[in-house]
This record gives sequence, C-alpha cells and structure tokens, in this order.
Amino acid sequence: MIFWLYIVILVLLSLVIVKEMFEERDWKKQIALVMVLIPFILRIFLIK
Amino acid sequence: MKIDHKIVASFLLFLMTVVCIVSGVEFLDMRTPDVIYPSEDLTKIGKLSDYFEELKDGSGDTDIYFFEGKEPGATVLLLCGTHPNEASGFIAGVLATENVKIKAGRLLIIPQACLSGFSCTDPMEGYPQSYTLESKSGERKFRFGSRVSNPLDQWPDPLVYSHFPSGQKLSGFETRNLNRSYPGRPDGTFTEKVGYAIVQLIKKEKIDLAFDLHEAAPEIPIINAIIYHEKSEDIGLNAILNLEFRDLRYAPERSPENFHGLSHREWGDNTDVYPFLMETCNPIQGRLRGRTNSELILTGKSPQYLAAQETGKLRIEYDAEGVPLDKRVARHLQGFLEIVNSYNEFFPEKTILLEGLPEYEDLLENGLSNYLK
Ligand SMILES: [Zn+2]
Repeated sequence: MIFWLYIVILVLLSLVIVKEMFEERDWKKQIALVMVLIPFILRIFLIK
Repeated sequence: MKIDHKIVASFLLFLMTVVCIVSGVEFLDMRTPDVIYPSEDLTKIGKLSDYFEELKDGSGDTDIYFFEGKEPGATVLLLCGTHPNEASGFIAGVLATENVKIKAGRLLIIPQACLSGFSCTDPMEGYPQSYTLESKSGERKFRFGSRVSNPLDQWPDPLVYSHFPSGQKLSGFETRNLNRSYPGRPDGTFTEKVGYAIVQLIKKEKIDLAFDLHEAAPEIPIINAIIYHEKSEDIGLNAILNLEFRDLRYAPERSPENFHGLSHREWGDNTDVYPFLMETCNPIQGRLRGRTNSELILTGKSPQYLAAQETGKLRIEYDAEGVPLDKRVARHLQGFLEIVNSYNEFFPEKTILLEGLPEYEDLLENGLSNYLK
C-alpha cells in the first residue's frame, strides 16, 4: 500500500515538474528541473 | 536570438527520454539471470517458494540445486550469495554446483540466496554491474549485485531497523540485509520472508550442516574467519586445526550470543543445524579501494590498500599480490571441505561423501576457468 502511495506521489510530482518546465523561462533552471525528473521517471517505471 | 522557452523545455524532455532509455536498458540488463550448468549428479532443481508459497515466481524465488547420493547420510546446505556484492561466495557456489559428485548423503546448494540483490548495485559506490570469467566454454558473465535486497522489492527503509523477534536495533539500511533478517517471519518484510523460507528449508529438509559464504573489506576484523555457533565449536576448531596443517590460516570466531539476525546465530538457535559462516578478503568492498571496476573484483589488487598496510598504522590483511578471486574461491571451498570432513569425523554413522571439488592447491594451479563449464 505504502509503495503505491509513493508511486502516486512521484507521478504527481513529475507532472508538476513538467508543468513548471514549460513555464520556466531560465534555461539553467529548466535543466535543473529535468535532472530531478530522471530518477523519478526510472522509479515510476520500476526500473531503478 | 532568443529561443522560445517552450521549445527548450520540449528539447530537454526529449533529451531526458533518451537518457532514461539508455540508462534503463543498462539497469534492466541486471535482471537477466546468471546461467549455471549443474554437474551430472544433479537430482533436481527446487525453488525457495517450495518452502514458503508466497515467494513463488517473485524476485526472491531463488533456485536450489539438489545432489543426492546413492548411500544415505548427512544433509548439507551450501548457501551462497547472501550478499550479492561478495563475488567469491557466489562463484564458489557456482563452481560446486558445476563440479560436485556425491557418493553418500545429500548436498543442497543455493548459489544466490538474496536473488533480489543481484538485480541492482549499491547506490553511491560506483560498483560495476558485472564481471567476466574465462571458462571451458569461453567467457561467462556474472552479475555483481548489491549488499541488500533491491529497493524495488522492499520500500521504504525505516530510520531504525528493529530485528524480529529480538527487538535489536540496527540502521534502517539493514532492514534489507538478508543476514540480519533471520529467522524471519511469514508476514514480515520481503527480506524477512526470504529469511523465513530459508529457515523453513533447513527444518523441512532436516539439514545437518549448513554454510553461509561471505566476503568483507580488508579492514574488517572478521576476514579470513570461520564463524561458528557455539554448538558447532568442536567441528569448527577441528577443521581450523586441519587447515593450519595445510598452511591455511582461518581465524576461529564464536558467534556472539546477543548479535541477532545473522545466519550463524539464528540458524543455530532456531533449528537443529550446525551452522558456519566463512569470510574472505575482498578489497572492492573497502573504503580505501581506489579505482572501482570489475578488474578489482578479479585481481583483488589495490595500491591504496598496499600503501595503507605499509604505514603499519592499520590492522589490514593484505600484501602486494592482492587477493585474486581464484584464491578467495579456493579458500571457501577448502574451508567447506575441511568442515565437512570434520563433521564426518564427529558423526561417522551419518557422513556425507563428496567428490569432484578441487582442493586449494589444485584450484590455484589449474585456475578457476578450468572448473567452470
Ligand atoms: Zn557478507
């Protein structure tokens, strides 16, 4: 149960980050956001 | 010229997808099972889930190789791969599975006790995912895993791990350590379930003598030790004496009575088995190891450890030759054979007779590659 709750939180956070990426105008901050996204995506797909 | 921020975001997301695919393929490669070619004396291959149904087809459902002699005798369990980042134990198990011949008694081999831990590496360590060994059929790749179960199988780690049933407190990371999870419980964590299944196997198969093979960093005091439960003391000390006669030094270590969750403590306390745990010296696990690659797994050669040893300020068992995998596997097998011999001396009415496993000197002379199919 707690595991799936964790995955749901990750999915929601990832969506917020993607939304933020399209609103952010500073490309350096956009890179920082995409770097945060990588481990989230790998965990959501249960790869790592 | 200013590029629209939405185009930058789209491009970065595309780049991220490429990174995820490339790294994902590499990470998923660690789920490809290692291949083992058992000797002709194999009777059957069982599964850990035969002793605890809930593990069936999951990432803890490891293989158990059964070798049964024509004559009755003792039943011995050789359990390897408790810590998948300790290569010599796993390879000793592979070598035994591929070469052993049995005349009397039964031998059960579990090469990958913590199967889940073979599917990932420890974070922040920079460990290689695999290493390649020469064999009679060419090169063979083996996985180099994590010390503990994969977090995908057990999450989250608590801040403090409380061992069942003793209540002993350990760091949260140890909650996924199989060798802190015995005797385990059927309704516990993933790792406790694996530990529980192994204890059930020991009980159901009426194991008389059991081994758990490990490695540790050069600075850890228990390297090159044989750790025994107090009831195994006579068998263990007799074997250590016989090993001394061959110029092989193994430190006798009695299992602490108040250190819980470990195989040499809990197997002994909870079942009728005589348990033993053996350690070899593995520089890649140490903090001073330097360059961390598959070469280090095979050669066990680290200039940093040599420098540390030469200062004379640390108690390290290490010399310029390093500790190659051949030597570490040879130590494990010789220790195993001597303890089996010692058991046979103590229980002449119920012996186990094994053949086909190389003696220490033979393995060093012929090389590991000549014993891998
Ligand atoms: Zn270990």
